[in-house]
Amino acid sequence: MSRITLNVNGKSHTLDIAGDMPLLWVLRDILGLTGTKYGCGEGSCGACTVLADGEPVQSCRITVAEAAGNSFTTIEGLAASGLTRCQKAWLEEDVSQCGYCQPGMILESHALLRRKPKPTDQDIDQALAGHLCRCGTYPRIRKAIQIAAGAGSKS
Amino acid sequence: MKTRREFIKLAAAGSGALVLGFRIGLGDETGEAGPFAPNAWVRIEPDGSIVIKVGKTEMGQGVRTALPMILAEELNADFQKVKLEQASPGLLFRSLGTGGSTSMMGMWYPMRHAGAAARTMLVAAAAERWSVPPESCRSAGSVVHHPASGRQVAYGDLVADAARQPVPQEPTLKKPAEYTLLGSSIRRMDAPDMVTGQAVYGLDFRLDGMKYAVIARPPVLDSEVESFDDAATKKIPGVLKVAQVTRGVAVIADNTWAALKGRAALKVQWTDSDAAGFNSLDHMTALEKATEAPGVTIRKDGTGRAGMAGAAKRMEAVYHYPFLAHAAIEPVNSTVLVEKGKCEIWSPTQTPNTLQFVASQVLGIPAFEVKVHVLLVGGGFGRRLGFDFDYEAVEVAKEMEGTPVHLVWTREDDMRHGHFQAASAHRMLAGLDASGNLAAFEHRKASTPHNIYRAPTEEQKNDPAAVIGWAWGVYDSPYAFKSAEMTYRAVDAPMPIGPWRAVFSPSSVFARECFIDEVAVATGRDPVELRLDLLGRNDESVPETFVANGDLIERPRMRQVLETLKKNGDLDRKLPKGHALGIAGNAYHTGTYVAYAVEVSLPFNVHKVSCVVDCGLVINPHGVRQQVEGGLIWALSNMKGQTTFKGGRAVQSNYSNFPITAFGETPPEIETFIVDGGADRPNGLGEPTVCPMIPAVANGLSRLTGSRIRSLPV
Ligand code: FES
Ligand code: FES
Repeated sequence: MSRITLNVNGKSHTLDIAGDMPLLWVLRDILGLTGTKYGCGEGSCGACTVLADGEPVQSCRITVAEAAGNSFTTIEGLAASGLTRCQKAWLEEDVSQCGYCQPGMILESHALLRRKPKPTDQDIDQALAGHLCRCGTYPRIRKAIQIAAGAGSKS
Repeated sequence: MKTRREFIKLAAAGSGALVLGFRIGLGDETGEAGPFAPNAWVRIEPDGSIVIKVGKTEMGQGVRTALPMILAEELNADFQKVKLEQASPGLLFRSLGTGGSTSMMGMWYPMRHAGAAARTMLVAAAAERWSVPPESCRSAGSVVHHPASGRQVAYGDLVADAARQPVPQEPTLKKPAEYTLLGSSIRRMDAPDMVTGQAVYGLDFRLDGMKYAVIARPPVLDSEVESFDDAATKKIPGVLKVAQVTRGVAVIADNTWAALKGRAALKVQWTDSDAAGFNSLDHMTALEKATEAPGVTIRKDGTGRAGMAGAAKRMEAVYHYPFLAHAAIEPVNSTVLVEKGKCEIWSPTQTPNTLQFVASQVLGIPAFEVKVHVLLVGGGFGRRLGFDFDYEAVEVAKEMEGTPVHLVWTREDDMRHGHFQAASAHRMLAGLDASGNLAAFEHRKASTPHNIYRAPTEEQKNDPAAVIGWAWGVYDSPYAFKSAEMTYRAVDAPMPIGPWRAVFSPSSVFARECFIDEVAVATGRDPVELRLDLLGRNDESVPETFVANGDLIERPRMRQVLETLKKNGDLDRKLPKGHALGIAGNAYHTGTYVAYAVEVSLPFNVHKVSCVVDCGLVINPHGVRQQVEGGLIWALSNMKGQTTFKGGRAVQSNYSNFPITAFGETPPEIETFIVDGGADRPNGLGEPTVCPMIPAVANGLSRLTGSRIRSLPV
């Protein structure tokens, strides 16, 4: 057991916890933030994606010990001050089918638009390459990202 | 079984709400009355909210939007005021299963009837208040109007009076021309929760004091626990208990990670298993061998296979289709509390009523003491028609009486230990007459029938009436042949086999539609024109419809879908060098007709997909488009991955070795044409869009390579 402090969605948490626990399970089981999804546990589906200081990371691939001292944003924290343009575009394009993969998709796309305000389809395919959707919502995600890009950079 | 419906008012107890529902009386053929059970679909609150019960599991197919639309249409409700409640099994809801693309068909009448009865009572209440005839009143947008006097009253203000109205047994249903909501594109009801992380899937369900469990299962099929040593497991901080259950050894802990570490530290000795010699490669050889002779006949056109004798030229090909896992992104899971002779289950299940029975068997308590809550499903595809994970969760919760336990399957558990889509072999034979016309046809399928509920007996395996139900896409081929024979042969395999998206169809349609393409190439025919001819376009002797295994297949609808593809799909366009078009179609046995034209290039690129679909009366066109996109992308996954078995073990365990369609493989252009085939009710779509996409792509690629793709993955 180690004492670890991390910041999630603007809130600081100090935990006495097994240092090898993946951040994914810390978020889901310890902090109750179940918007971050488990899909594969090996870094091949992207469902567990969160933002670490704005950069997308797979929370199943980071231990809580490695995460210590960092700040993370999960899907629950993304909309802290109203829906982001990605979330709005997701609703406009009605992307979700089962919806399970979408938190990871949205966080990745959010980071992409920060990096590249006007992404090409190729940029999108590249950025989302590590994300799987078994329901096949990819075409709508492409469109939603373009809609969000067109909406400007207010969030 | 006969179902008698009697509409009743349920107690408006306490809430002051108008509650309406059915009594569904289940009687037997003798006419003897069975037990009566009240059953509520809609509740209108005094504040005007319309609470609609959803009796199907939402797993991405859109039932939590489409079903309320149907009821709201008849109710003339303001759809903005609709709230959803998920139905739980019990006396009120006795069969809530979701599968086989049957939700729209099955709920079409009950939802309309419930909405129309409520509307009738609300209008009657308003008419009474104004002392005018009900016929002089109209309703729309949750308001009753009296046009002659200009008076109006909101539904919410009528609930108390409406509850006193007699319940109409046969309320007048609206005519399609009067629909204002059905046929319009409505976005998903659950979408806002999904994009903010608030949606609660099975794996997200939490209760105070809940513990987490995982199970060590035998790596080899059919093997069991011989002994285990949990000394190391018990030293892991957070591990609470280790217990043997039917399928293996459960580790229960404070959180998922502790449970997983505990499981990794467990030493289990497994018994030897007869299945240890099972290899999927050998199995495929056995399947192919099983098609060397015809199997059990499930359809015979004309003189059957005897027609082959007169053929001037014969063609023969064998198609192979692999075992497949479901690979939904949310692995299966279930949360159970066993306490004081009662049981409560929270599960992402497609078969809630079965869970009551399952838990009652495991615990030895009456089924009515088992309460089941249906949670959102992160991808169903038939996997959650199995109840193995719920069974396990009840067993584990029994070990932890009084404490809720959340059973987690890892991705690896999910890929290796669930049920599978059966592998199959299809021997296709064609007899051409002297002028190259397709005169005789045979389709011999061999595969393993479902065995997760009850494995079929030897007698059933040879009974055409049983066998036909396992051969979707074979017996129901929409094509008419002068002589044809379709047969099926059951071949056992040791792994669990059960429902998977489109169930028995994908392999059959793959083989049939590819082979038809082979015939088209061999005889120099256009693949659409050949199909139209086989659908009796110019042949009066071909019946326009036929019934097979109780399913109505309508050839004019299939023709219209293909004609539309020809007209709108721009099939004669000039293709870039190295590109080809692949064509395929299918009449799904539940009454949905689909055809694809797919532009492809080597090795496996899909540039453009044109899809035409006739799924009957369209509830939500937007939902139709989503199911087309989702179905065709699913089908592309079909061509990439497979589950193989070596030494009785499932080899593939995660997405890294069971690839599914990735973002960059999405066709850049998808166009969907929805056609009206004149049906007066909706048909399902979750499955039908999958089947013909696979052969369409294979046919396109085969035209480029010159060698046929006859086995999957490509
Ligand atoms: S769960 Fe982390 S990438 Fe799949
Ligand atoms: S929407 Fe179901 S997995 Fe993506």
